[in-house]
Amino acid sequence: MRATLRWAHSDLRTHRGEALFLVLATAGIVVSLLLATALFGYATNPWQRVFTQAHGAHVWLHTAPSADTGRLTELDGVESVTGPYPTASTTLASRGARAAVELRGTAEEPSVGRPLLTSGHWLDPSDPDGVVLESRLARALLAAPGDTLALPGTDRTVTVLGVADSAEKRYRPGEQPGLVWAQPSAVRDPRGQVVALRLTDPEDTDYAVQRAVTVLGAGAVSEVSTWKQARAEAQGDNRLLGQVLGLFGLGALVAAGLAVHGAIGTRIRGHLRDISVLKAIGFTPGQVVRVFLLQHLAYALLGALAAAAVVQGLGSRIPGRLGDAVGVWHGLPGHTVALLVVPVAVVLFIGATTGLAAWRAGRVPPVPVPRRASAPGGRLSGAARSALGLRLPPALVLGWHRAFSRRLRSPATVARLALPLLLIVVAMSAWTTIERFDGRPEQVGLPTSLTVHADAGLTGRAARSVLEGDPQVAAAYPGVEVAALVPGQTATIALRGLGTRQDPYPYSLAEGRAATGRDEAVAGQGLLALLDARVGDWVRITVGDQPQILHIVGRSIEPENAGRVISTSLDTLRENDPGLGPTLYELRLRPGADPGAVAERLTAAGRGHLDVHAVPNPADGLSPLRGVIVGLIVVLALIGLIELLTAIGGTVREGERDLLALKAIGLSPRQITAITVVSTACTALAAAVAATGLGVPLARWIIDAQGASSGIGSGIAARPSALLLLLLCVAAVTGAAALAALPASRAARRRLADTLSAVA
Amino acid sequence: MSDDPTPVLRAEGLVKTHHGEGAPAHAVRGVDLRVRPGEFVAVTGPSGAGKSTLLHLLGGLQRPDSGSIWLDGECADGWREARWAVERRKRIGIVFQFFNLVSDLSVADNVELPALLAGVPPKRARAERADLLAELGLEGKERSMPGELSGEQQRVALARALVNRPPLLLADEPAGSLDSKGTREVMRLLTRFHQRGQTIVLVTHDARLASAADRVISFFDGRIADDAALDGGAPPRRAGASGVLELRD
Repeated sequence: MRATLRWAHSDLRTHRGEALFLVLATAGIVVSLLLATALFGYATNPWQRVFTQAHGAHVWLHTAPSADTGRLTELDGVESVTGPYPTASTTLASRGARAAVELRGTAEEPSVGRPLLTSGHWLDPSDPDGVVLESRLARALLAAPGDTLALPGTDRTVTVLGVADSAEKRYRPGEQPGLVWAQPSAVRDPRGQVVALRLTDPEDTDYAVQRAVTVLGAGAVSEVSTWKQARAEAQGDNRLLGQVLGLFGLGALVAAGLAVHGAIGTRIRGHLRDISVLKAIGFTPGQVVRVFLLQHLAYALLGALAAAAVVQGLGSRIPGRLGDAVGVWHGLPGHTVALLVVPVAVVLFIGATTGLAAWRAGRVPPVPVPRRASAPGGRLSGAARSALGLRLPPALVLGWHRAFSRRLRSPATVARLALPLLLIVVAMSAWTTIERFDGRPEQVGLPTSLTVHADAGLTGRAARSVLEGDPQVAAAYPGVEVAALVPGQTATIALRGLGTRQDPYPYSLAEGRAATGRDEAVAGQGLLALLDARVGDWVRITVGDQPQILHIVGRSIEPENAGRVISTSLDTLRENDPGLGPTLYELRLRPGADPGAVAERLTAAGRGHLDVHAVPNPADGLSPLRGVIVGLIVVLALIGLIELLTAIGGTVREGERDLLALKAIGLSPRQITAITVVSTACTALAAAVAATGLGVPLARWIIDAQGASSGIGSGIAARPSALLLLLLCVAAVTGAAALAALPASRAARRRLADTLSAVA
Repeated sequence: MSDDPTPVLRAEGLVKTHHGEGAPAHAVRGVDLRVRPGEFVAVTGPSGAGKSTLLHLLGGLQRPDSGSIWLDGECADGWREARWAVERRKRIGIVFQFFNLVSDLSVADNVELPALLAGVPPKRARAERADLLAELGLEGKERSMPGELSGEQQRVALARALVNRPPLLLADEPAGSLDSKGTREVMRLLTRFHQRGQTIVLVTHDARLASAADRVISFFDGRIADDAALDGGAPPRRAGASGVLELRD
């Protein structure tokens, strides 16, 4: 053991750079994986974000109106109590959709469980019938600020002032009523009240609930809901981000593992001579393996510990989204486990890859003999020979030959370099797809950018003339959107009639054809999956009490309502119900128009009868992914750089053996340098071409699979532009050449006593 | 020779063929050898005769295709690489022509490493190293790195090989990369250790170096062509050319 330590110590002294590289590489991998985990938790868990931002309540208690909730503040472990707010159960209806809701009377905006407004504004005392809807409820009712909702069975109506996110138990039709904030005066017949508790220790929820119920008396409490229930319900949502990130994380880990393996392998190849001497003086093969393994495990452990400490200690101080993500992640329950598991897994993974390389070191023969010249198959090809005959620069021909003649090692080098590049191509495709949602939304089912609701004060023809009178509006498609029930299904779908036969709505079709004839419709993937239907099938749906039978002739890309949308023309719906008039208009704007400005102009022109808002873009929810993609591309580029340096080290070392021979046949040092540079560039080129060739179809497949499972539907994937791909290839090749130039020229100018010293 | 004490090293029917590119190279074909304690044997022959391979076989650095080796009467046929490594720590010192020293260890560490490996306490290893380096005229070089030394490298290699006082020293062209002064120096040192009773097997193509030995084996095409004692009485058995030719003054 002493001898081993002595050697490891001296090795560290003389190879500080290599040791530092390994520590830094491990630290880099662990930091990026931990940050990815943090971002994962942050981005894939919108509920957690809403909960944190809303200063969410840990316990909601629904009690009888008489319960004395003031005593709850005195309980141990309760940080603050908000409420009580009077509540009433009722039903809201809008354009055929109905929802059970809980009206909650809140004069002030609550400080705990604060609703996070996504559109519109908060309650206004001067508007007693104004309400704010929870965003899921608003989506289910197809309601937006400005809409008027009826309370069936009464002659009352309420006006939607705003839509807000909430971290409470979410609206589920028929099961969980939706949440509506209203003025206390609007809650006319309070049947109960609700109080929110924020706890000092969220893990202590069960105990806190128990004591709260004891204080209030079991008879007074009608319902208890906790943050854990709400979180459990919210999970399983938004899988897209999670899966994309998981895929990239694993890919990066594999690429990083290969990079570290390659780097250690190169290091051991550089040590062959010393390993022989060690064995000659009595190191057993097992000891040699242990020396390398323990040494690298120690470096990896050091790097992993440093990385974990840095992320834990300084992570939340990173400016911007990343810092927020780490801050939120610190509060997430899986945080400690991830902080332990990720570094341990990385160290084990690096240990396993080192083990392979170290095992090879153990098998180095104890006699320091020159290695046999390169593997068989190093013959110059006929083409290379004639190329030399054609007076092509010999460096070019020999460099090409060196890059591709070594039978086994060159494909492995190309493959290892291609992996990070391939992942970069996939990441670029993901970026381009998101970009397409932003830049060319008409290709992904978002041809219009504004939706206008007209009230009874403005008839169809008049409304249309106002809308089309605006110079920036290219087209206005009249339509209706109603919630419809599918027989045998509890789920609601959206039935849309948009456009007329003369002026059809420009659906983005992924399959089939446009709906032009009678009773023809197109549907989103979500609907097809829900009904287990296919393009060509007939479906029967019910709107209110009226059945509607439609022939699905195409599949449209459908970003709304998880793809559970069936769309036909307004004419088709009118044939069933001649009295049906358009209630909304979808506006397609001229290129370059600013939707906000147009919306303002139209609202003014409508004189209070028009309610204009922007069409939500699903890519808005994916915006955290962009930062992640940029970060991933940087990490992958670093991994590629490490691979490249390893490959260059290998090529230069291989070249040393031929140095004297090349000098003897009359090549100048510059030409010898050029051989190595060309060979490295060729390897990089092969890797870049392979990565592009495989990455583009792979990305299309992955993104479309995601689209299909999320309901939007396959066909959303966008290929990065050819220019961008070309740029990636050029960057890889020139980067490789530039990186190879210095070590190659240094090697070419080195004076060797004889070829034997190039044994290692 | 059969009535001699147990030989330090005995080999019988050693065969080793290298399978490289092209035709297989028969490096060693059927070698029998006995080395008595305290003997200084030089194996000479032209380059490519298989001398180095023979030495590697004797040190367990390579495994013979067939044949047997005994160390101190102990048969080494069944030893694995790890067992040979352990034996090399105590029983065999080896000096090569090149690459004798671990390049990233200092001279002192290079010499102490085999002692530490053999389980010698660090304090004693340091003392042994200091004695040896002083004897070889290398005081003050302890902290040097091998790359900074020129002719002294082989002396450090000798120190490294002898630090555990092995019964057997195998030297493969120890002066092959040295100038004539260095060669004389190595020769003087080998003679000095031999006079103290060190058993030495030396492989060299240099006749001057071989002349320091008391027995010279001529190696040619993987076989022993001649085996002659240089001083003292007639060799017990004359198989090679010296059995046919007798030179008279």
